[in-house]
Amino acid sequence: MTLRDIVQRLALEVVVDGGGLDREVSGGFSGDLLSNVLAAARPGNLWITIQRHVNVVGVAQVAGLSGVLLAGGEAPAPAVVAKAEEMGIPILLAPDAAFELAGRLHRVLLPEET
Amino acid sequence: MRTLVADLHIHTCLSPCASLRMSPRAIVAAARACGLDLIAVTDHNTAGMVEEVARAGRAAGLRILPGMELETREEVHLLAYFDDAATCRDFAAEIYALLPDRPNDPRSFGDQVVVDADETIVYVEPKLLLSALRLSLEEAAARIAALGGLAVPAHVDRSPYGLVTQLGFVPKGLRFPLVEVDGASRPAECGPGAVLWSSDAHTPEEIGSRVTAFRMNGATIDEIRRAALGLDGRSAAVRRRPRREGEAG
Repeated sequence: MTLRDIVQRLALEVVVDGGGLDREVSGGFSGDLLSNVLAAARPGNLWITIQRHVNVVGVAQVAGLSGVLLAGGEAPAPAVVAKAEEMGIPILLAPDAAFELAGRLHRVLLPEET
Repeated sequence: MRTLVADLHIHTCLSPCASLRMSPRAIVAAARACGLDLIAVTDHNTAGMVEEVARAGRAAGLRILPGMELETREEVHLLAYFDDAATCRDFAAEIYALLPDRPNDPRSFGDQVVVDADETIVYVEPKLLLSALRLSLEEAAARIAALGGLAVPAHVDRSPYGLVTQLGFVPKGLRFPLVEVDGASRPAECGPGAVLWSSDAHTPEEIGSRVTAFRMNGATIDEIRRAALGLDGRSAAVRRRPRREGEAG
């Protein structure tokens, strides 16, 4: 499933397209400690986080993630948006809490397990 | 006893997030220009620029406190200060071994370079310095104390990386006489003590934008600790910007 499909099915706001919406999403990862994401997220994962720091973009790039889904609705700062655009990292936004988003993403990505 | 205006949180070009313009020469010049008496070099998880900045400081009559800004396992930033560069360097070697073996991606995080007095790049740090150490907050504080240093939690009220915003509490048994804050006051979670204001400068222009005026007998770790505790007439008072000569107040 592509990031674009997920954006449509979960009704997410696309903050940064990054030219990456047609990337295949390999799965999801939820976490707010950057070191944990770097150590445990797998390439192609869509990362759900409440973090808004610019280092989120660097972590997504280094970990080879398909995108970042910001939970909790607050838009990221312009510097974060600019960095994500420069790096081509899609940034998505939703008002829901991480738990809700992870549940909905899980249903979409792994319907047979739900 | 005299008043020393200090900016104790300054990054150099070795920190990936800092400007490449943060050379020893530029840092010392900016600190002198805004009338600082004391600065600390506090790069992320490294002390690789401490001695070069200290040399530049000596030549200009500016005291440099050796330091680092550690990122603990909890992703809490903790400033560590030492009296002498050798202790700081040895501690930095311990810290380096606790830093994950993940290469820096300069495009994602920025360049990590050591430069000399002439602003020539003499070393490129390959490991990503902006990583959490395999070291807890308690372990870091204990090790700093054992080496005779001073541990000061950085920007405790800032998200992410601040002690209070990251954990919501100060682990039992830990006491910090001095905590750095972005806001005006010391969060209740930190208990009694003083606050440190510093610039957390990543560019030369930011140096000295927030400072702390210490009334104490010289710029030693022990004196800074005593000033934070308000002992024997010593004090630590925050200021938005050092007063320049001829300025009122």
